[in-house]
Amino acid sequence: MLDQVRATWAPHVLSLLRFMSGLLFLQHGTAKYLNFPHVAAFDNMTWNSMVGLGGIVEFVTGALLTVGLFTPIAAFLASGEMAIGYFTVQAPQSFFPIVNRGELAVLWCFVFFYLAFAGGGPWSIDALLKRK
Amino acid sequence: MQKLDELCAAWAPRLQSLLRIIAALVFLQFGLTKLFGFPYLDGLSNQPAFSLFWFAAIIETVGGALMLVGLFTRATAFILSGEMAFAYFIEHAPQSFFPLQNDGNQAVLFCFVFLFFAAAGGGPISLDTMLQRARR
Repeated sequence: MLDQVRATWAPHVLSLLRFMSGLLFLQHGTAKYLNFPHVAAFDNMTWNSMVGLGGIVEFVTGALLTVGLFTPIAAFLASGEMAIGYFTVQAPQSFFPIVNRGELAVLWCFVFFYLAFAGGGPWSIDALLKRK
Repeated sequence: MQKLDELCAAWAPRLQSLLRIIAALVFLQFGLTKLFGFPYLDGLSNQPAFSLFWFAAIIETVGGALMLVGLFTRATAFILSGEMAFAYFIEHAPQSFFPLQNDGNQAVLFCFVFLFFAAAGGGPISLDTMLQRARR
């Protein structure tokens, strides 16, 4: 009984994970380019800095992942950005993610890497397009 | 294109296990730093026994270790997901609506990653799968 519930729901929960992680990721893009939500650290950011270029990736792939369009490609790019972010910003400060504040980058990197292979699940535009 | 689809189908379950291992390792840190001060963090390490953070640390250490090896993955993941939801609403949500401003990004992400594992299980590289194979 419980196994059945899980088997039916696992793909949908995958979509939920994609939606939430995409939304959180998009938030970083909008904070950098629309000042929403406002984060003081991004106030004097220029687009051609590392943070600014990262923001473009976060904005575009975050939006795509939230709705589940071109999930594998968007997730692969986002995963790569997080890997670069982790090794350039966080890793030099300490080996441990909890000390170098890179937990989020690590987690995102592997969540998106998984999504790049598993796709966006049934609740996604990708799935809608495939059905037609 | 067909070949890429096959490649993805073959690797997705293994990457599911990889995600479980990484998430567990990152998560385990939160338990270890609170209980044993390793890795050491000012303000978080060495919590007094039987405080709220101490109980959280017990859940994080035991749950993180179980998730790492992939034993009782589903039940463990469900509890950890609940713990993160709880932590988000008492620690982070009161400060601001947006995770970026209330520093709750990780709690949200952990919550949904663990919820996924509660439904999907630990994948092929886990003790659960090994035990299941041994039983047959």
